[in-house]
Amino acid sequence: MADLLEKIASRLYEGEDEEVAELVQGALDKGLAPGVILQEGLIAGMDQVGRDFKAGELFVPEVLIAARAMHAGMNVLRPFLTESEAPSAGKYVIGTVKGDLHDIGKNLVKMMLEGAGFETIDLGTDVAPEAFVNAVRDHRPVLVGMSALLTTTMVQMKATIEALEEAGLRGSIKIMIGGAPVTDAYAAQIGADAYAPDAASAVDVARSLAA
Amino acid sequence: MTVQIPIETLHPTMRMLSDEQIRAIHHTSLDILERTGIVMVHEAARALLLEAGAWESDGRIKIPERVVMSAIGLAPSRILMHNRLGQLTMPLEEGKVFFGTGSDCPFTLDLESGARRPSRVEDAQRFARLCDGLEQIDFCMTMASASDVPVQDHYLHDFVAMIRGSVKPNVYTARDRADIEDIYRIACAVAGGEAELREKPFLMLYAESISPLLYNEDSVGKLLFCAEKGIPVTYPPSPNTGGGGPVTLAGSLALGNAECLVGLILAQLVRPGTPFLYGMNTAALDMKSAIVSYGAPEWPTGMAAWCDLARWYGLPVWGAAGASDSKVIDTQAGIEATVTVMAAFLTRCNLVHDVGYIEYGTTSSMEMVVIADEIIRDVRYMMGGVEVSERTLAREAIDRAKPGGGFLADDHTLSHWKWAQWRPDLIDRSRYDTWVARGKKDMATRANERVHKILATREVPPLPVEAEEAVAEVLARRSA
Repeated sequence: MADLLEKIASRLYEGEDEEVAELVQGALDKGLAPGVILQEGLIAGMDQVGRDFKAGELFVPEVLIAARAMHAGMNVLRPFLTESEAPSAGKYVIGTVKGDLHDIGKNLVKMMLEGAGFETIDLGTDVAPEAFVNAVRDHRPVLVGMSALLTTTMVQMKATIEALEEAGLRGSIKIMIGGAPVTDAYAAQIGADAYAPDAASAVDVARSLAA
Repeated sequence: MTVQIPIETLHPTMRMLSDEQIRAIHHTSLDILERTGIVMVHEAARALLLEAGAWESDGRIKIPERVVMSAIGLAPSRILMHNRLGQLTMPLEEGKVFFGTGSDCPFTLDLESGARRPSRVEDAQRFARLCDGLEQIDFCMTMASASDVPVQDHYLHDFVAMIRGSVKPNVYTARDRADIEDIYRIACAVAGGEAELREKPFLMLYAESISPLLYNEDSVGKLLFCAEKGIPVTYPPSPNTGGGGPVTLAGSLALGNAECLVGLILAQLVRPGTPFLYGMNTAALDMKSAIVSYGAPEWPTGMAAWCDLARWYGLPVWGAAGASDSKVIDTQAGIEATVTVMAAFLTRCNLVHDVGYIEYGTTSSMEMVVIADEIIRDVRYMMGGVEVSERTLAREAIDRAKPGGGFLADDHTLSHWKWAQWRPDLIDRSRYDTWVARGKKDMATRANERVHKILATREVPPLPVEAEEAVAEVLARRSA
């Protein structure tokens, strides 16, 4: 059984989406608990991807190909997961801030977080502070992530945090930010909880904030 | 869609000279040979030229056009260089570009201390092993003029160290005919005999006349020896602008062309079909320091011009790149190496030496060789041109893209990213935080680490027993 879970993890690492789906089905047929398949198969594989990506051993497309395999496995597994077994790392609201249409970096972070077991709610790009507020109110996430590529739109991160404070929601969430012009110092300055320099670090940061 | 006829990819090239310019330089070279004449010290070579139709007046040997042109007609258009295991790895022929190190540096940058110190015989072997482990380096030269062996024998010691260190083809230097006879003995033992060596040569002599117009005993003696044996030789003169040649490039090219063709004529007179690599070195003599500059723009400019001449004659061609006048591994070294490597590729120079030289060829640097390896790989991508095809035009991917959403996670990216993009090795593109976390290493530091890694892991097949016996016999006789 442990072999089968290891195989799911290693085939996921290699990005073999069809094989991962078959292996997950096989594990279910053998009576393995869906939660165990998720944690010790799919998420374990994705964790290895994240570690190796962070260490500079993997390229972004290899991570994405693995993430695609993760999705293939999840599509088989999802109907069998009970509420408590569902991706349990937490809910994560993510978006690119108002006035900024850049999608790519934010999507990369989103895919990495999903691979790590977060349930992400993607608000897209050009997300106004009110939209973040509404999403937090509706979805009750543990984390909110904001992205900005431009120095001119980076200020919207501060506006969004202020809007969350005014709505009385700031205390219920942790906020992390990222993007080319963003730094640790800026995160501290505007009252965000953390900054992640890249998509691989974002997983670590999100996990430590959600813990 | 049915499979359509592919669109051919244009691979960029450079021309420096027009046909009219080539003819004007060629005509001037003919004038130099026929009217100005050369000084030939080597008696047998002088007799050969006179017998072939040259004459002597005013103490000069004068060579007419028909002797020049018939010799060019006899010289091979390509030279098939092998490695010392007998595999064809370096066919010097039109369109192909091969890179390697340089010869005889009196100093090297010590790999451990970074200090400039006299070269030792072990350096020649270590440089060869480094070349053996670098995929962009096609051939070796010694990179060392060893200071820890008897000075009159250093060429021999350096040659032996080099062939022990690498199986790749090599270009070697020698002091005189006695040196080259010993090197030939060893080379025959490596190849398995004289006929085997001629069929699958793994070494090429680099000798040169003295610019302007002087042909001394030793260099001509070595040239004739190679021709007698039918093994490859290059004989590029160095009419450096303002030094061995006129200060203007055109004059240096005309002189260098004439001087090189004398070597070609001699080789073809001794043995028609002798594999002869055409070329010259037209670097600039710096008017402040009087050094011969390896990083000057005159170098790539001149090289592209003599490569045009070589193509016009239908001859394989020699050049240099990846070298610097800088004393350390710095920005200057990177600039000078990159400009010359790009020029060598664009002009399709067949055999490109001096990769890894710093300090105008006085000092060798292992880090510089490794950095040049990355530069060569980088520029090679550019020479690949732009493939235009259904798979690269990506119509469907563009069609399905969400405006503003990007292609990073698109199937087209995930299917083609491995070959569609060039990936750096030594060049650093890591994010700032990652770079800091890894110790803020600059290029020279990373290159030093890569050298250590290659030297620690590269395994090179030893010389055949017969070759080591020949080496032992030759060195014992010399030390007696």
